[in-house]
Amino acid sequence: MPLIATPEQEELRRSLRRFLQQVSGREQVRALLTDDAGYDPAVWHRMATELGLQGLALPEQFGGSGATFAELGVVFEEFGRALVCAPFLSSVVLTGHVLLAVDDPPAQARWLPGIADGTLLATLAVPAGAGHDRAAPLPQATASAGDWRLDGTVMFVPDAQIAQLLLIAARTPAGTSVFAVRAGATGLDRTALPNIDLTRRVSRVDLHATPAELIGPQGGADAALQRALQLATVALAAEQVGGAQACLDMAVGYACTREQFGRPIGSFQAIKHQCADLQVQVVSARSAATWACGIASGEQDPAQLPLAAALAGAYCADAFVTAAKANVQIHGGIGFTWEHDAHLYLKRAKSGQLLLGTPDQHRDTAARLMGIAHEQ
Amino acid sequence: MSSDYAHLDVGDDAEFRALLRTFLTEHGPGKRPKDPAGRLDWQRRWQAVLFDGRWAGPSWPRDCGGMDLPFTRQVIYSEELARARVPNPPGTGVGIAGPTIIKYGTDEQRARWLPALLRADQVWAQGYSEPEAGSDLPSLRTTARRDGDDYVVTGQKVWSTQAQIADVLFALVRTGTQESRQNGITYLVLDLHAPGVTVRPLRDLTGGAAFGEVFLDEVRVPVTNRIGAENEGWRLARTSLGHERAAGAMIQASFYQRVFGELVALARERGTAADPVWSRRLADLGIRVKIMALNAASTIAAIEATGEPGPASSVSRLYNSTLEQELHEIAVDMLGPYGLLDGGPDAVQRGRWVGGFLRTRASTIGAGTAEIQRNTIAEQVLGLPRDPAMPPR
Repeated sequence: MPLIATPEQEELRRSLRRFLQQVSGREQVRALLTDDAGYDPAVWHRMATELGLQGLALPEQFGGSGATFAELGVVFEEFGRALVCAPFLSSVVLTGHVLLAVDDPPAQARWLPGIADGTLLATLAVPAGAGHDRAAPLPQATASAGDWRLDGTVMFVPDAQIAQLLLIAARTPAGTSVFAVRAGATGLDRTALPNIDLTRRVSRVDLHATPAELIGPQGGADAALQRALQLATVALAAEQVGGAQACLDMAVGYACTREQFGRPIGSFQAIKHQCADLQVQVVSARSAATWACGIASGEQDPAQLPLAAALAGAYCADAFVTAAKANVQIHGGIGFTWEHDAHLYLKRAKSGQLLLGTPDQHRDTAARLMGIAHEQ
Repeated sequence: MSSDYAHLDVGDDAEFRALLRTFLTEHGPGKRPKDPAGRLDWQRRWQAVLFDGRWAGPSWPRDCGGMDLPFTRQVIYSEELARARVPNPPGTGVGIAGPTIIKYGTDEQRARWLPALLRADQVWAQGYSEPEAGSDLPSLRTTARRDGDDYVVTGQKVWSTQAQIADVLFALVRTGTQESRQNGITYLVLDLHAPGVTVRPLRDLTGGAAFGEVFLDEVRVPVTNRIGAENEGWRLARTSLGHERAAGAMIQASFYQRVFGELVALARERGTAADPVWSRRLADLGIRVKIMALNAASTIAAIEATGEPGPASSVSRLYNSTLEQELHEIAVDMLGPYGLLDGGPDAVQRGRWVGGFLRTRASTIGAGTAEIQRNTIAEQVLGLPRDPAMPPR
């Protein structure tokens, strides 16, 4: 069980951290908050060409470098630490892994190389919490004269405004299927939603008889969608560990220097104990995410992926929110200002906790997988 | 006692595991007796079986009766003992005093004490806490006055696990001035059957007496029973004693995996698991129990890769002690008023869950309160400043 990073992964972490200090520092993140696209295309390009990040965990036959999800976990942890604004989760993890999981070699050959080298931005429109109890209805797909049209609405689609390609889960007479829609398609409306987390953009996608291309067989796409969502949950969990660690580091740093009553506030047990409790949660969250990334890499026990995703998804999301809230609290008044970064982490923690299945949904999934609740 | 170590030195870890499993299957200790006296006897007999078969003391040197296994095999050993559900050694000497003596004792002391301790011919109890010295242990007041070749020890120790059945007390005593605090403390091993020793069971909130009070009135202890130098005891008691505990962390984790499974079985049997609120609560618990094992495995992986236990080891005790409290409370709450019954025909599973709820109050008090552990994590791991009102360490 690979529960600690290999020397190669540590080297990846070091070089990525240096890179992100240059390109995703405080000023750059602040600039992107008010940017329409919400990411920096030049940085995105450098991630692909200099570091090969987008292709890291994609197969070599599609232009990837065939590393594993464990390396991707390192990348996401660093992204979380540096509040990276980029369509990585949507394009590379969600869309890339849906394409890998559906049986459609021509579609894979057409799109995966672009995803892997960063030249194609793609996203996946699947109702938030799909696969859980409160799944919203999928759009309806209808065939006429061999062409498919989609009707319906999908909420909270990540990075939809900048995506050139949207993969959309829709209902057909044969069951759930995946369709591809081009950004300029007729009857496709994308509306940016005013999500508090400006580092992670989401949209409402409305479809009115939108022409679409069927990817993979008609029906039976639930497993592929579930798998992509599970992998995205694992990647997000790693990101949450990085975010939580950043919050703890900020809180500890501030508590060591801020003085009240003539001494650093970190010398008071009320602050110490909060920080110690955060350390317990951050370390435990890292154990959970590292384990889940190992499972997601497929190298051992791949059948455990649904449980690993639910476990890491629930625990790491909550740990990040707890750390982000405590960080605001420990900073006191300064932590409540717009100028301080504490709120950026708080908002990112909250959006990560709710956008891709909530912790309670993950716990309900875990209840079924652990044999507590029966399958419904 | 066999002096043959061939079974420990087999080339292959899988073969080592198979040999151990065979031994445990063939010599298993049998069912756990219900009465305390029978249980102690059962623990002692089992420990002797392990010792005589050269299957005791995974990290201990072989000249002390141990196995001196490489760390990877210590982990295998822990996994197999957890799986076989065999009893732990009685008392607290094997886990705490033994490693201290291995590290700081003289050859004569090692030979005199360690094999008998490891075989459970003698049961050892710890004498650290005092009525006026709990979290502030360096303020302890049990004094040892030098008189010829003896120390004369007077004072009172409290919260000594299993003191009433123990033969030996390993204790911290004051040899310096009261003001010298941790620089005036000495580590002594004393005979609980000696004149001047009175042991009283300490009835705790569970109604039982897992701990004892030890009264010491002019007890003569030979100087040859001192571990390390005079006034050096505090350093000895605080030294990290190797990674045996990390290897053993898997035992606690597998134990709680099993307990959680039993709780789920109970929830299903009683229909509670069908309630979505309860199934979610239990899943949350199951997630945290699994993370207990992952933290233990992370520590083990870190030791195997780097020789250092890494960050998970410093948070495990706080994480685990809090979780075992919550687990039992969730179980009691799940049973409703039946959760209150600790005996009689209507009690659920003989009241084990409420017993655990009560017993685990001690988990965040004994061996360093949760508050002291939080201070330690905050100061020694995170680097937060010390409280200027606290005496220097």
